[in-house]
Amino acid sequence: MQGKPSVRTGPDRGPEARQERGAEARQDRVRAPVLRLLGSELGVLFRRRRTWAMLLALAAIPVLIALAVRLSSTVPPGRGPAFLDRISQNGLFVGVTAMLVAVPLFLPLTIGVVAGDTLAGEAGLGTLRYLLAAPAGRGRLLLVKYGGAVVFAAAAPLTVAVVGAGIGAALFPVGPVTLLSGDTIGAADALGRLLLIAAYLAVSLVGLSAIGLFMSSLTDVPVGAMAATVVFAVAAQIADALPQLEWLHPWLFSHRWLDFADLLRQPIAWDSFAANALLQGGYVAVFGALAYARFATKDVLS
Amino acid sequence: MTRTWLRWLPAVTVPAVIAAGVLTGSLPASAGDPLPAKSPEQVLQLIAQHRETSFSGTLEQTSKLGLPELPQAGPGASSGEAGWLELLTGPHTARVYRDGTDNARVQVMDRLAERDVVRHGNELWFYNSKDNTAAHAVLPAGAGSHHPSGQEALPAPDTLAEELLAKLDQSSDVTVAADVQVAGRSAYQLMLTPKSSSTLLASVAILVDGQSGMPLGVELKARGQSDPAFRIAFTKLSLEAPDAAVFQFSPPPGATVKELPVPDHKSSGTQDRPATKDSRHNVSGTGWESVVELPAGAWAKTPAEQPGGQSGGPGNAASLLAQATVPVSGGRLLSTALVNVLILDDGRIFAGSVPLDRLQAAAAAR
Repeated sequence: MQGKPSVRTGPDRGPEARQERGAEARQDRVRAPVLRLLGSELGVLFRRRRTWAMLLALAAIPVLIALAVRLSSTVPPGRGPAFLDRISQNGLFVGVTAMLVAVPLFLPLTIGVVAGDTLAGEAGLGTLRYLLAAPAGRGRLLLVKYGGAVVFAAAAPLTVAVVGAGIGAALFPVGPVTLLSGDTIGAADALGRLLLIAAYLAVSLVGLSAIGLFMSSLTDVPVGAMAATVVFAVAAQIADALPQLEWLHPWLFSHRWLDFADLLRQPIAWDSFAANALLQGGYVAVFGALAYARFATKDVLS
Repeated sequence: MTRTWLRWLPAVTVPAVIAAGVLTGSLPASAGDPLPAKSPEQVLQLIAQHRETSFSGTLEQTSKLGLPELPQAGPGASSGEAGWLELLTGPHTARVYRDGTDNARVQVMDRLAERDVVRHGNELWFYNSKDNTAAHAVLPAGAGSHHPSGQEALPAPDTLAEELLAKLDQSSDVTVAADVQVAGRSAYQLMLTPKSSSTLLASVAILVDGQSGMPLGVELKARGQSDPAFRIAFTKLSLEAPDAAVFQFSPPPGATVKELPVPDHKSSGTQDRPATKDSRHNVSGTGWESVVELPAGAWAKTPAEQPGGQSGGPGNAASLLAQATVPVSGGRLLSTALVNVLILDDGRIFAGSVPLDRLQAAAAAR
């Protein structure tokens, strides 16, 4: 995935481009290059074909679900993933169902690829030392790299939600939405809730991104960091399913991933949003500090 | 060398700070302003005179009964009687709203689902989001005004507390333990400790709000178990009247709605109940040591009486029972931390908060 020449010769890729960025930053001296660096980082990230391929794969989930429900007979309630039986009544549920399906594996997979690539990808390409030639400093570079991963963590669930709502509206009727509490809200309100769920999932993935960043600082082989991050996500969910490890559950970053359903209650149960944000914040602090310590003391040879 | 050390410093301090924060947070917070000391009788009076009928809050229930935890979701989850049995096992969170005597709503928050009970005036609604079903009942007129009149008919709080205490004193030691924090409020802890040493129950704690006298929770402890065997308590509580929109409920479009017949209290209730009570169960022993006996056939009748008869309902319960019980001499034993149930081979059932040998002795005595 990484070593293909087509990727390396893409726009703004390769040593030359990095050198330019380094030179630009040097002209600014120390004066707040973080935002500009972040802009350039996002430009690189979202111009990569791999990023688009991952977003397209995520967008395919709601499309597949919507088509499957449209082409098959009605789903009896209580079968398949939650909310699946509601789709034929209301298209907006495509977004919710797709996010539910994407949470355990697909979203962590894409986050693992992006976050695992942050530092190890540059090191693997041999461009890391050019980036460090700029006076931005390692701490700032780490911040920028993490910022890029976080933006992707927000974009990924948003893609699923928006594509889901779109394909749902195209194939199914859209109207008042029944919440878990049995109350109904208007379609506009429901769209707001859908975006809230996407925001909840973005927050949920921030902790995993920090883990990926740390993994990425440990190695020069991006695939290793990606795989380690995904393994972390899967292992956390397996541990979460074992009742014997109950004492550990509230500490697992994946423990509250599925609690996004609390946003579908009336009135909204904000407790889980706050608890999730606190949990993810803890992971960001711990693994951010670890990544900084490792990256700041690392001998960058490539 | 020192620079390297400095850079690892945050990686060490951040987990330490988090650990310190968690430790201080989990310490039993001593009440900021201690409640005035009260005797058990005064605490009972406080409960009896409380008039909080409007509140909203979050209830959390945990149980360590030693029963197998029933799955809440997935293929094993059932919506029949096992669905309500499931409320006894495992943890649950529910939001409770109440405004006056005839507006109430309980939301049991399951993972990716919710069970609701809404009462608005005489309308009673049940809703289960898992299978999108609703049930509706109209309470007989006057049911709402039943409680206030009943409360007026009750003796004055102080005499009530006195009588209650006198009754409790026969079987338990009643004390007031150290104040606790419940839902951010200081609460009295009224402890009932059984005098008998042959019951499984170690203590019952009733948590009473120091200001309003509203009961905030109950904690049952079993012998030889440090965690409460059953605990239900508020984790959040507001004594303001909740938004009236909370009590408005109409079944969502597409939901299956079932009308529930409401039994007429006057005709059937008074005639049937005493008769069945006498013929169907028998109590031996007193106080906490009571053993309840159900004659043969009571168990077999129960599933058949269930309305609806959902597919797999009774069979599911029977297989659950087989899984949860262990064979003992003369029958099978369903053992939990608080209650033992002995199901004899001849169909009789003995239950009580006592050890197995007591149940067997009670069975042999008959």
